[in-house]
Parts: sequence; structure tokens; C-alpha cells
Amino acid sequence: MFSKRIDAVWFGIHFSLITAVCFAGLFSLIAEGATMLPSALESYARKAEIAAAWVLGKQATASSPLRRGVATYLHAAGIQAGYTFFAPNVPGYHRLTLELFYEDGRVEHEAPRLRSKVTGLRLDSLLDRLAEERYEPIREVLVKMLAFSVWREHPGVKKIRAVFGSVTPPSIIEFEQGKAETFQPMFSFDFSLRREEKQ
Amino acid sequence: MFPSLAFVKNLQNPVSPIAFPQRCRERFIDFLFPSENDRWLSVLRIGLGLQVCVYALFLRSDWHYLFASRGKGLIGREVGEAITSFDSPLIPKLGWLIALGRAVNMSEETVLSVAWACLLCAACFLLLGLFCRPAAIVAWFLHLCAAESGGLLAYGADNFMTTALFYLMLSPLPDRYSFDQWVVKTKPKHPQLLGFWRRVLQVHLCFVYFIGGLAKCLGNGWWNGANLWRSLIRPPFSLVAPDILVRFKYALPVLGISICLLEVGYPVFIWIKKTRRIWLVCILAMHAAIGLLMGLYLFALIMIVMNLAAFGTNGRNRKPRLAISA
Repeated sequence: MFSKRIDAVWFGIHFSLITAVCFAGLFSLIAEGATMLPSALESYARKAEIAAAWVLGKQATASSPLRRGVATYLHAAGIQAGYTFFAPNVPGYHRLTLELFYEDGRVEHEAPRLRSKVTGLRLDSLLDRLAEERYEPIREVLVKMLAFSVWREHPGVKKIRAVFGSVTPPSIIEFEQGKAETFQPMFSFDFSLRREEKQ
Repeated sequence: MFPSLAFVKNLQNPVSPIAFPQRCRERFIDFLFPSENDRWLSVLRIGLGLQVCVYALFLRSDWHYLFASRGKGLIGREVGEAITSFDSPLIPKLGWLIALGRAVNMSEETVLSVAWACLLCAACFLLLGLFCRPAAIVAWFLHLCAAESGGLLAYGADNFMTTALFYLMLSPLPDRYSFDQWVVKTKPKHPQLLGFWRRVLQVHLCFVYFIGGLAKCLGNGWWNGANLWRSLIRPPFSLVAPDILVRFKYALPVLGISICLLEVGYPVFIWIKKTRRIWLVCILAMHAAIGLLMGLYLFALIMIVMNLAAFGTNGRNRKPRLAISA
């Protein structure tokens, strides 16, 4: 036999958490001004987002057992992120170009890639995250690792310049007029393997 | 005569202030625990077995490259695991298994290979219905470890897989089409417990589509077709040449609005008997199109599996008909 009461209580808690996660994501979009709603609503949306975050225990300290417990449960159930895929609008994408400088003066252009084409979209997911403000502190480390993964396949390279930027695709009308996508550099890093090894 | 008749009527249907909340509570319990058979569970189990199998095979050539430690793989497992640990150190990750392997003198590479092989085996067991519950737990755990360790490389399909495996693991397995049931004739599962877990899946999907649809409705690009164009020409989803898409430019706004309405209307029209089939067919068609036109095969498959399990089978147990005596 099973207890209907326990199941009903679990159902209530589970879907309250899902509601909080979903609305936190939705209010965050409104607060950022990413929607077509009037900007007057942005401050209210920010407050609502904070309220939703409070339900998820995010206002507690990082070591709080409640916060950790809720986070563990959310991750275990796969409900830690909302469902606002491709919404409210589809943003441009991001590109990381690596300029490989060889000892003999040659310069080649490469990009980090995975072996399987089907899993290649995971790399694009990573690049889109790199552009986000919250990943700014680890941006250089991640780009360095991506550059290093390419470096291993080109041992003769002396220096790598990594240029990261956003790509804006043309609209349908622009495409019909022959306009191509535009690349807007966001940041770049120069890496030297030898210096790394000495360090 | 008349007043006394009214008095009798009131006694038969007494109206008390507790009746309404109690009635609501009863209706809620009826909604949560409908009597169902386990056909939906078979669909979920077989579908997830297939999904995990495809997931493992897709990642086969990149498994070590994605999850190796720093300096050996793409970005190294440690960054993703550090971010996850910041949320909570209790979230499972591949690093745990590697630490465990080190304790018995197993190299990182061996542990990763064993983890991949176990994931594929669990998927095959789920497909066959062999050791259903342990297979579901192993598949959920290993997939969660991989999704969290490679969190920076994860996308929507990973979250849906974790959710679906989480529900499968907790559902009353084994189902009647499983090998387990064929070998060991176990007692039939409680129909209301089966109904409860199906309700959980159904309500979850309603949340997914309503929130997704609402967020899309708030972007102007979904009303004029611009978002559909951008999502279809954006690498790596650009499987269809833009020249071909341009020919259908007048259909894009209609399709964009249809997607918004389909998703926002899901929590309403999927419950209405008359509209359920058409809504389900449209949602399945939308996911099939996402899979084929954008190359999001794993995402398309998991959504199709979840929708079919939740609303695609007729799972109601027939109530015995009452004999009407004259």
C-alpha cells in the first residue's frame, strides 16, 4: 500500500519548486528588458524574481543546509533551470576563433571542435555561456583550456590568439539583399605555451 | 406542504461551511490518483531506454574528451564540477566515481570507460525491461553525473532526460511488458499509484509548455517569424539552406504564432478529450520538425517519449458497469 497523503505532499512541494524555478526565469527575462512588456514592469519583475529565488533558498548563505538541500533536489530531478528555450527572442550566436602563430611565421585559423558532429552543439552551448556576465570570472580560464585543446593537436605553434565575439545573422530581407552575418569581437586573449610551461 | 418539502430537501443536501474545502480536497485527490493501467509506463521505460542508448552512442567518440581531467580533454571536468559544487557539494558528479576508482587502483580513463559501458548496459536493460528498477536508478545516476560534470556543455535535452529518468526511477516498475514481469510474476501494481505518477508527468509537461509558450509570446520575434528564421539559420542548427527557407518566408510568421499558441494552449487543450489528439499530434509534429530541421535529435526524442507516455496511451481502467434494475 502507498500513502496518498505523503505522495500528495511531495507533489505539492515538487511543483512549488518547479513553479518557483520557472517564474524566476520568466521574471528575470522581464527584469532584463528582454521582452516586449513596458519597461515600467522591470522593477516589479526584479522583486518577483528575488521572491522566487527566496523560495528556492538562494537568499540563504552558500553553506546553508536548506539551500544545499534544495539545490541537490533540483539538480537530481533535472528541474534547476526554467523552460524559456529560444525565448523571448532567439539571440545571435557566438564564435571563438583561434589564430595559431607557428615558429616559422605561418598563421592558421582554427576553432575548437568535438569529434562527433551530433555532439558539436554542446560546444555552441558552452560558447553562448561564455558570453554571459555571470561566467566572466572564469572566462579566461575556459578560453585558455579551449586554446590548449587545439594546441595539443598543433605542437609547432608558438602563440595562440583567441578572439571571441558575437555573430548577428542577417534578417530575411537582409539575406535577400545579399547581406551576410556580422561579427562583433567581445574580447581576445594571447596565450604562449612556453611561458605557461615556465610558470 | 411546500415548506416541509423544502426542509426535507435541505436535510438531504446539507450546506455547511466545511463542505466546499472538503469537496475541493476530494476533487484534488481524485485528480492526483486516477485509476490507470501501466501501458504509459511501458512507453516511458522503452522510450527512455532508447533515449539513453542514443545518448551514449552519440557521445561515444567524445566521452573521454568531454569528461577527462584538465589538460587531457576539451575544457576539463573540474570546472563544471566546481560550478556544480558551488550550488551543492552533494550533487552527483563523475569526479566521485573517479575518486572511487582511484581507491581501487583504476585509472581515470578506465573509470570513464566503465561508466560509459554501464550507462549503455542500463539503457539496454531498460529497453528489454530486465532489472527495471536497478537499471533506471543506474541510468539516472550515471546520466546525472555526466550532465553535472559537463554542465557547461549541457543543454535542454540533458535536463529533460534527468527529469524523465527521475520519474521513471520512482514509478511503480516493472510494467506488464517488461522481461521482469514475464520471468517473475509479481502482483499487479496499484492502479492509483500508476495514475499518480502519470499525473506527475502530465502536470510537468503542462508547466514546460505553458512557461515556454508564455516566454515566447513575450518576444516580438515569434509574432513576425523572425525568431523562426534566426533559429533555423543559426549554426549548428542550420541544416536547411537559407535559400530554401526564403521560399517559405510568408509561412514563417504563421508557424511562429502557431508554436506560441500550441505551447500556451497545451495545459488547456491537452486535457479536453475532443482536442487532446489533435494537440498531441501537433506537439509531436513540432518536436519531429525540431529534430529533423535543426539536428536536435536527443531533444526531439525525449520530448516525443515524454508526450507519448503522458498523453499518448489510453491508460484509464474501465470501471465496472452498474446493473440498472427497473
